[in-house]
Amino acid sequence: MIVTRSWLNEWIDLEDIATDTLCKTFNSIGLEVDRLLTYAVPKKIIFGKVLECEKHPDADKLNVCKVDIGTSIRQIVCGASNVREGLQVVVATIGAQMPSGLTIKPVKLRGVESEGMICSASEIGLPDFMDGIIEIDESVQNVKLGDEVNKHPLFSDDLIEIELTANRGDCLSIRGVARDLSAAFNRPLKDVVINTNEDKRVGIGRILNLSHDKDYHVNLRYKAVDLNNLVLPLVIKLRLSQIEETRESCILALMLYATHSSGVILRAYEHSFFQCDKESMAKIDLAECENNFACIYTTDKKKASTVGIIQEDDSLAKIDTGIVLIEASYIPPEIISKQMQESKIKSGPLYYKTSRGSEPELNQGLDYCMKMIEMNSESDIYGGVIELCDNYENSIVTISKDEIDAIIGFSVDKSEITKLLKNLGFDTSKSQGDSYVISVPRYRHDIKNKQDIVEEIVRLVGIDNIPSKPFELKEENRLEDDYFWYKKRKTYRHKAANSGFFESLHFVFDEKKVLDSYGFEILVSQKELLNPIVNTLDTLRPTLLTGMLKAASANAKNGYSSIKLFEIGSVFDKERTESVKMSMLFSGFQTKYSLANSGKPAKIDFAYFVQKVTDIIGSFELEAFETSHSLSHKYQCANVILNGEVIGELFRVHPNVETDYDLDTTFLCELSFDKLSTELKTAVKTSKYQTSQRDLSIIMPKSMKYSSVKSVIETAKTNEIIAFDAVDMYSDESLGDAMSLTIRFTLQRDDRTLEEEDITSSMETVLEALKSKLEIGLR
Amino acid sequence: MRLLKEWYDAINNATNVDAIEEIRISIFGKKGVLATEFAKMKTASNEDKSKIAKELNTHKSALMNELSVKKTELQTQELELAMQAEGLDVSLYSTSSEAGALHPVMETMDRIVEYFAALNFAVKTGGMVEDDFNNFEALNLPKYHPARDMQDTFYFKDEMLLRTHTSPVQIRTMMAQKPPIRMIAPGAVFRRDYDITHTPMFHQIEGLLVDEKGKVSFANLKFILEDFLKFMFGEVEVRFRPSFFPFTEPSAEADISCVFCKGDGCRVCSHTGWLEVLGCGIVDPNVFEAVKYENVSGYAFGLGVERFAMLIHQIGDLRSLFEGDIKLLEQFR
Repeated sequence: MIVTRSWLNEWIDLEDIATDTLCKTFNSIGLEVDRLLTYAVPKKIIFGKVLECEKHPDADKLNVCKVDIGTSIRQIVCGASNVREGLQVVVATIGAQMPSGLTIKPVKLRGVESEGMICSASEIGLPDFMDGIIEIDESVQNVKLGDEVNKHPLFSDDLIEIELTANRGDCLSIRGVARDLSAAFNRPLKDVVINTNEDKRVGIGRILNLSHDKDYHVNLRYKAVDLNNLVLPLVIKLRLSQIEETRESCILALMLYATHSSGVILRAYEHSFFQCDKESMAKIDLAECENNFACIYTTDKKKASTVGIIQEDDSLAKIDTGIVLIEASYIPPEIISKQMQESKIKSGPLYYKTSRGSEPELNQGLDYCMKMIEMNSESDIYGGVIELCDNYENSIVTISKDEIDAIIGFSVDKSEITKLLKNLGFDTSKSQGDSYVISVPRYRHDIKNKQDIVEEIVRLVGIDNIPSKPFELKEENRLEDDYFWYKKRKTYRHKAANSGFFESLHFVFDEKKVLDSYGFEILVSQKELLNPIVNTLDTLRPTLLTGMLKAASANAKNGYSSIKLFEIGSVFDKERTESVKMSMLFSGFQTKYSLANSGKPAKIDFAYFVQKVTDIIGSFELEAFETSHSLSHKYQCANVILNGEVIGELFRVHPNVETDYDLDTTFLCELSFDKLSTELKTAVKTSKYQTSQRDLSIIMPKSMKYSSVKSVIETAKTNEIIAFDAVDMYSDESLGDAMSLTIRFTLQRDDRTLEEEDITSSMETVLEALKSKLEIGLR
Repeated sequence: MRLLKEWYDAINNATNVDAIEEIRISIFGKKGVLATEFAKMKTASNEDKSKIAKELNTHKSALMNELSVKKTELQTQELELAMQAEGLDVSLYSTSSEAGALHPVMETMDRIVEYFAALNFAVKTGGMVEDDFNNFEALNLPKYHPARDMQDTFYFKDEMLLRTHTSPVQIRTMMAQKPPIRMIAPGAVFRRDYDITHTPMFHQIEGLLVDEKGKVSFANLKFILEDFLKFMFGEVEVRFRPSFFPFTEPSAEADISCVFCKGDGCRVCSHTGWLEVLGCGIVDPNVFEAVKYENVSGYAFGLGVERFAMLIHQIGDLRSLFEGDIKLLEQFR
């Protein structure tokens, strides 16, 4: 909503209030200032009057003017086509610094002296609201020749754009904003005096008839006018350009101006649109259309407008002569928003106002409009009005002083509350004692209950004037499951970062086509997104992996050769059930280039990746596995098993996928976050005696899985063996289809130091088991 | 005896530990000079014997002492040289970390959660896919409400939607629990908006306090938010402006004095000196009605975590937060 100081001044006296204070007040009463623009016409630009105007002897398009600038008469050469004798103009005198940077100096134009410049709007820094030079007309009051233009309130104006919240339709007009300011500054609204001389006028009833088939929640009020010689005055042209609006005819522009000023929805119809023939009376019929909207029809069912929504182009008064019907209308916003929700139809430029609540006091808007027509034309206005009113009673809210104080947490002075409510136009005359009985005017349709009233008090008292107070709290244990889940996620995030991974966040959206091409299950079609924002984000992700690959790819392009990322986030299965996964990506080199690795860090491999994942989630087991999607390298792919349960997958990325994403060797791991452990650790008693190590190099077929070797040792091992790990693999031609696997055993006893025999017998036990169960043994 | 004197010079002139060892053998070895000198004693008279013995023993201990002093000296010298040989150009070694880092948005979220958890707020979470009732209707946003325009929503074909705020978590909590309630709901939310200052997904934290009617006031809300904003942003000024949210009444927005220009006016604060950081208000009675709470009062507030993170860490580009960009992330080690 755009307002200007001079425009507001028509309804409320703000002359003693600085713009800074005005903006602060707007902010504190909840009308947020979005933009402040000050029109600063430079000095030495003054009002003047063209006394004489003659063609330049040597230039067709130039005129030589004698201009009265109050103190003297100057000769000025002017090229504008609208310059003429008798015109009041804006003159830049010698020494004026124009906004363009130009300084006005005496010059000779084709041999004729010129001492100044007659200015157009844009030349003095105003919006371009009229062609040629500015023509000062009677709508600009208090103009004295020779006065500085920047001293005139209309030209040294401030434009303030306020951002209105959806509930404040009442402030979508200059008068509405002024009404709110009147409460904030505790000063009255000015009444726009309208002198109507009804005596000699032909009554509107002679030319217009209104009928309706049933009761509607619609208010209509009509005036008729025989337009003649309507000219838009400077003030209206300037202000319409300030609110960035134009209309094709003067009458339509004037309607818009009156609507923006008063808040009342005004439309102008051709009178003839409603006539059957030239002589007959115009008949307006209010009836329902097929979508149940209240509409204005002609008798032969031609639609002229849909009340509160749009006016049909055919019925618009596009020419500024002849009989025109001016309609003021009001329809409750909740009715049209609800109807629009049910059947969306095309809406016109005023729908924004009507859907948020336009001004219901139709007479003040219509009268204001008629006054504008009267002032700016030689039209004949028909006497009286034709109107239709619904039965509306103001809503009543009752609230006690105690209730107000309890919600605010601070006692506001009783008389101040009464004053505030009154200035807002609320009737509190029925209040008794400490109980307020408040009648809410219709334009504040947003005020329905006690808290709405308190909101009005809070914003006008000023939230900053309410002292803060701590809430008194009853102790309670609020550490619930969700909190522990949050803590768990935090713990794992810290572990991952400490292990060298960067936390990444991605949208939960992904691209259907890509997911499908890698064999991921996507949402069943009836549960799919209805209105995706772009087609690369057209479904919900079933995995974090594709997002990570994309991010890794971008980082690789950015020059990173060792990329470690992780994410803990939500994914969705095809039934759209949400679960949380933790994923890790490792791509390229194990570490950065450095002196330590002579600039040649080792590439990431299976062992190193498993090590890194172990650092984050603790020890786990791996089991050969084939993923359901095609991101993985078939032969370096495993199920991650924790405490006997599969919790996710870990694999090298398929070389083709590495190519797709322009990546070096890359590993991925995706785990079910819920299955990661949160148990508190318990310590086991440890032995104080020395440990010993012994390596066994076992010859076994290449096809044999370590997991089977491991489980045999696991069952057979003696108490002395406290740990064993595969530490080396070797194969050569002499071994054929077999290979040598070195297993390192760590041995210890908790009652005494190990003897050599303890070690040998432990090793023999292991070897016997391997021999009998798997038929493998030492070389 | 004169001969022995020469050995003092020899020790003094030795240049390495090996030479010292050779000298030691030449003096004290079985065939060393001392042994030879002592042997000569046999032929001497008794009177001379004791004199010679005394003299020889004096030399013996003096030489031993000289030897050991010289040896230590030479050893120290040699170690010094050896270490010198191991010398490094320390300037070659920079301190570039191999550690990873946490995401600034998640870290900011942690700090916010930490504050409210310390003030005895419960932490609650909920699903991202929601229904119209929990996301809109119960929050006093009926179907035709113009305020729905404020939140462009992602819908699914089966009329479910992606939550536009974490408020549905509060509705679900109130439906499941009796008052009093004291909770925050952190999580991802979705709006159909994608440009320089909007991403279709971002994170919110919303808070809710419900207690007996008449107990919870706007003054209480002001207190906790002023304190919270100072915890997050340091010594800033906090101001409140009336605003409108369908689920609170009265509603307000809280601004802090601009953290970049300290209130003088800059590009970030659009030359106003203030930054809008959160919305809040007294819970609208219609919300309580929707969850069938009676005789209660409460306050609620909500904020965008990305905005907090960007202001606190001076991050310029919102979209970079969702790209796993290591160039950005490694700055948060």
